[in-house]
Amino acid sequence: MPRFSTSAEWLSQSSLLLKARPTSTRISSKYSVLSPKASKVSKSRKKAATLTASEPAAAPASDDVSATPTPTRANIATFTLKTYDPASGTCLKYQTNKAAEVGRLVGSLGKLARVMAALPEVVEDLSAPIDQAGTHTPVPEGVGKDVKAGDAKGPPGGGGAGGGKKKKKGKK
Amino acid sequence: MAEGHITNAEAPQFFTRLAALLDTNREKGHGSVYLTQKRMALSPDAAPSPTKVADDPLWDTHPANPLPVIVRASDTKEDKAKDGSRRDKPKIKFSTIVQPDALDAFYARYAETCKAGMSALKKRDRSKRKKDKRKKAKTGDEKKG
Repeated sequence: MPRFSTSAEWLSQSSLLLKARPTSTRISSKYSVLSPKASKVSKSRKKAATLTASEPAAAPASDDVSATPTPTRANIATFTLKTYDPASGTCLKYQTNKAAEVGRLVGSLGKLARVMAALPEVVEDLSAPIDQAGTHTPVPEGVGKDVKAGDAKGPPGGGGAGGGKKKKKGKK
Repeated sequence: MAEGHITNAEAPQFFTRLAALLDTNREKGHGSVYLTQKRMALSPDAAPSPTKVADDPLWDTHPANPLPVIVRASDTKEDKAKDGSRRDKPKIKFSTIVQPDALDAFYARYAETCKAGMSALKKRDRSKRKKDKRKKAKTGDEKKG
């Protein structure tokens, strides 16, 4: 049961699995909010105790008040994606706890749903203009992004010209 | 499943129910919501005759027509022992069948609903970045000085 560290990797592997076994493969996503384990709670309490000990002024009053909300605040929320094919037993997982990723992940679920539905994979061509429309970025901006990436990685000489171009666009 | 699928025309109902499910989860402060998607291969035109299957065992990798996708949502069963109530609370579960031509629109709305509902996840942490910038500025000043 491989767990992937990046969602892109999970997406590519899942789409390969889906292409191979489109009928039996299912994708389940789990959003779970769990209270932390007892051991973790006790640890955090100890931490809090040491903190309050170091700040004796606030200790007696705030201790009772803060004791109740901390467990709810410390709840651990995760979003797990799982691609599972019962026929072959393949299971691909990806887990995150970042809210910023949810939109993108559901988007990739949509891409995979297209594979499931046996629709042609024009998704990238179709989705690209939609994304750009969303961020008010026409085609040249995409070029700019590429240049940015090149700038960060490549030698300064090669990326210099591109950087200049990008600046001009910004001024316009 | 006691109730039928939410059909394509009633897709908005799916989203209102999903939003409600995520909301109850938020109110509870704990618990899980499961969302699954799978090819809907039960329609009669999707399953070819056995002879054709024997001829082409990989027929499902290239069906003649695009197939609908079924999206299910559920929460977890709640144990009466934990809750202190008399009976186990049954799962809330519902599903919708998304026709291939409606997929893009469905997933756009699906993403919105999920983003809004999954509020317990970590928000983007901006404080760290600011700190880094301050640090960088400080080190820069030191270098200058």
